[in-house]
Amino acid sequence: MKKIVAFLLILTFSFSGCEKDDICDANTPTTPRLVITFYDINNPAVLKNVNNLKVIGDGMTEGIVFNSASDNSKYLTNGNTISIPLKTDANTTTYSFILNSGNLNPTLIDIDNVIFNYTRNDIFVSRACGFKTLFTFVPSLPLVHTAVPVTKQKWMQYISVEKSNIDNEDETHIKIFF
Amino acid sequence: MSLFMVQAQDTIPIKTSPERTKIVGEIPEAPKQVKAKTSTAIKNDTIIPVKKDRYGLRVGVDLYKLTRGLYDSNYKGIELVGDYRLTKKYFLAAELGSEDKTTEDDRLNTTTKGTYLKVGFDYNAYENWLDMENIISIGLRGGFSTFSQDLNSYKTYNAYPYWGEMPWKPSGESFSGLTASWIEVVTGIKVKVVNNIFVGFSLRLNVLIVDKKPSDNFENLYIPGFNRTYAGNFGAGLNYTVTYFIPLYKKTVKAKK
Repeated sequence: MKKIVAFLLILTFSFSGCEKDDICDANTPTTPRLVITFYDINNPAVLKNVNNLKVIGDGMTEGIVFNSASDNSKYLTNGNTISIPLKTDANTTTYSFILNSGNLNPTLIDIDNVIFNYTRNDIFVSRACGFKTLFTFVPSLPLVHTAVPVTKQKWMQYISVEKSNIDNEDETHIKIFF
Repeated sequence: MSLFMVQAQDTIPIKTSPERTKIVGEIPEAPKQVKAKTSTAIKNDTIIPVKKDRYGLRVGVDLYKLTRGLYDSNYKGIELVGDYRLTKKYFLAAELGSEDKTTEDDRLNTTTKGTYLKVGFDYNAYENWLDMENIISIGLRGGFSTFSQDLNSYKTYNAYPYWGEMPWKPSGESFSGLTASWIEVVTGIKVKVVNNIFVGFSLRLNVLIVDKKPSDNFENLYIPGFNRTYAGNFGAGLNYTVTYFIPLYKKTVKAKK
């Protein structure tokens, strides 16, 4: 009988810590970012690294952080793939893609604006993670691409929508050739 | 709660110790002399009282659910409990309840409403001394609930909040006609505090067998009777009961050989 009492006590204490202990696991696929891969326009099968690319959302003062540097170079990337978050409370997201950002010669800095048009769908994930937002590009006009200023030649020469459903970050959704 | 446990622990019947019997007598009720007189067999000048067990129906209410509504504005609930003594050790037991609970998770706000019924048995593992009627039991229940779940509002999870943390989105989606079935393992104690009035406490470990999900895109976060759902189909519960015993008949306890 003492065993039963001990069992009851253990049971009481083991259940007391059950609430509010669940945290959304970082490995759980939640709201995906838009995955953009850069290719060489002269050799479309070959990946091409960008040079000091800075990506700033419309209306934002700071760019997307690409690395863990402590100074402003954290906003710059020199790779061939970037992942950028889309707005989950609007059906369009506008980004400025600044090539050769921070270059001392202003004529070498190229800025292209891209407006992404999409529809959103909120999907239940779990109690801890809540919902995630999945995106689908608007088929008729998935994106609007302009140079800044508009008279200037665009540095992105061709933008290809590879996947119109943005469900995860495991695949490239957009290819940019330059 | 711990007081009862201590009492229960102290009432181990050691028949040779007079001190022990004194303690036993204090807690639930003094042995009834009347019963002893009417059913006393005299053998070789030794008085051996014939022990009789009372059989009947015990009905009551869960105070935990009843009082929770007073301090938790997100909760309204009631649970009626009852058991019927089948044999010396076995009791047929059931709980019938209704709950209305709003759950505020970090990213979900849901309201679950429904009723439930649990039916099963308790096995009294406690050896009562004289006419004590305390119970330390282990039991099983089959639980069934019909309920509805409303998604009031939610937040989307975004690991990269470049555009800022998104506010709660209202939903208003309602899912009705949901059902769930589960098995409960119950450990409990019931102590007679005054004549025919018992207070009890039980802890329950639940295993969900089947549940009808609200949709492919959602799941049951709370099930009346089963309580909060966890990954792995496990759940837990407790109740704190006050019950009244309605005696129906008595049965003579056969002496052990």
